[in-house]
Amino acid sequence: MGGAVLEVDNLTRRFGAVVANDGIGLRVRPGEVVGLLGHNGAGKTTLVSQVVGLLRPEDGSIRVAGTDAVAEPATARRAVALQPQAQAPLDGLTPKMAIEIAGRLRGMSRADARAGARALADELDIGEWFDRPATPDGGGLSGGVRRLTAFAMAAVAPVPLIVLDEPTNDVDAARRRRLWKVVRRLGDEGAGVLLVTHNVTEAERVVDALVILDHGKVVAAGSPSRLRGSSDADLQLELSLHPDGEDPSESLAQAPIPINRRVRVGRRVLLTLAAVDAEAAVAWATALRRTERIDGYSLAPATLEDAYLAATSSANTNTTTRTEDAADV
Amino acid sequence: MSEQSTLSPPAPRSAGVPPRIGIWLSYGNLLRWMMAQTGAMLPFVIVVQALLAAGIIIGFGFVIPDIDTSSAQFLSTGTPTVLLMFIGLVMVPHSVAQARTTGTFTYLRSLPVPRPLLLMADLAIWLLVALPSVAVAVVVAHLRYGFGYSFDWPVLLTASILAAVTATAVGYAIAVSLPPLITQLVTQVLVFFVMLFSPVTFPASQLPTWFQAVHDVLPFRAAADLLRAGLLADTYTASWRDLVVLLAWCALGVAVGIRALTRRN
Repeated sequence: MGGAVLEVDNLTRRFGAVVANDGIGLRVRPGEVVGLLGHNGAGKTTLVSQVVGLLRPEDGSIRVAGTDAVAEPATARRAVALQPQAQAPLDGLTPKMAIEIAGRLRGMSRADARAGARALADELDIGEWFDRPATPDGGGLSGGVRRLTAFAMAAVAPVPLIVLDEPTNDVDAARRRRLWKVVRRLGDEGAGVLLVTHNVTEAERVVDALVILDHGKVVAAGSPSRLRGSSDADLQLELSLHPDGEDPSESLAQAPIPINRRVRVGRRVLLTLAAVDAEAAVAWATALRRTERIDGYSLAPATLEDAYLAATSSANTNTTTRTEDAADV
Repeated sequence: MSEQSTLSPPAPRSAGVPPRIGIWLSYGNLLRWMMAQTGAMLPFVIVVQALLAAGIIIGFGFVIPDIDTSSAQFLSTGTPTVLLMFIGLVMVPHSVAQARTTGTFTYLRSLPVPRPLLLMADLAIWLLVALPSVAVAVVVAHLRYGFGYSFDWPVLLTASILAAVTATAVGYAIAVSLPPLITQLVTQVLVFFVMLFSPVTFPASQLPTWFQAVHDVLPFRAAADLLRAGLLADTYTASWRDLVVLLAWCALGVAVGIRALTRRN
């Protein structure tokens, strides 16, 4: 078992002819924040729904905190706190009441639930709305505050596994950072966190490991640096092409520098290169721009985004992708 | 934001399944949650009930010219049943259909509580919303026709609670079994059936015999007759058969509701 709080093996679930989850396997250990990435329809929410016992798998197994979640969903639910992608039902409640009730339903004492709610409200900076009731049809509290409240409801009690499905939707930039800090803290306290998102860039900063889903299958898994497939010192050159313009990096031989990986998404081309080639890359891109073969460019530290796009490219019909090893160039 | 964290030291967290919490504690907190959601509309519901009661008691009075006291009594003592059925078969399904559309239903099902408790909490809340309508109907009828009642309190209380819970359970069962849009249509049809084609506000003897037999196994006449026996105990008596029919429908509604809550698709 390896002491994991979530162990998913060979999980398969179909909806009619669509295979939403196709032999998925993943682990979340205590203290680990695992990002589950994928495009819309990759099967992320289907996976989560099976973990909390809303859907029944056709094949495979799910163990939550050592409990067989398929055979004993009610027991497993006590070990998982879920922030679903849909808004939590808050109408008529203040954030304070909602977070406290969520804590009480998980066995916290009144005093602990109250203290926990207050602490989270401070951490997430929603104290201003702490005692304001949400009213029907989206009144009273904004979408972002509702989302943060739902997050706090999942985070308040000390459960072994926390599942967050797109927790930062509608949340402003400053509070997003606070939310990520809390996620990191939950992991450091020993909780396993499964973070479902399609926001690669944000996820990269908080997760210990990533699982990338595409069309119901795990197409890549590992630590962010492993998935990046390159050293942390690598750079990413992004070329913006002209509409209908030709791609000057189409043939990697044309580039004056070794390119580790090339991904094209619509008019954007992401090229991963070594830091030592930065000067030559900028000179090349500047020349391309001057001769108006590209619209613009940027050079930045390599991110997971191109690795993610490369792994999931089959989902995107507008993409032409090719992955090459530097040695081949 | 300072880099220095001001948080208390991390609480040690067990990797095992947390212990089960008491069922009453779960239920109490669920009730708090749902009461906050539904409770806000309670005054509004009571006003609507009063208007509906007036509509039936006064409006149907216009349909029957020179209404005699016994007809007026029959009409008036059927009105609480119409109101309870309206809440259970229209408002409840509407609320459940909305919960299914917005994801609330799914959210509640993911909570660490035994799922049947979710239905029990809904039944309790809607009972609270529905019960005042009996009093509202009684008062409106008294104001309009001025006749006196002969209450049989145990029968009245039992009948009111059972009718309200049955209507709620059946409405819940409809809403969890059908797609939300179809639910809306079905409940509209049902409320017409209760108001115009059920011997609730008029005696069953006015219906063809075969249709009377249909109503012997439906909950509407049964609920109306039981409630009437509680309001006019001098004239009408409660029948065990009606009680059994209502209990059966209540059990059916609860069973379908619980199945929908606990089933994994």
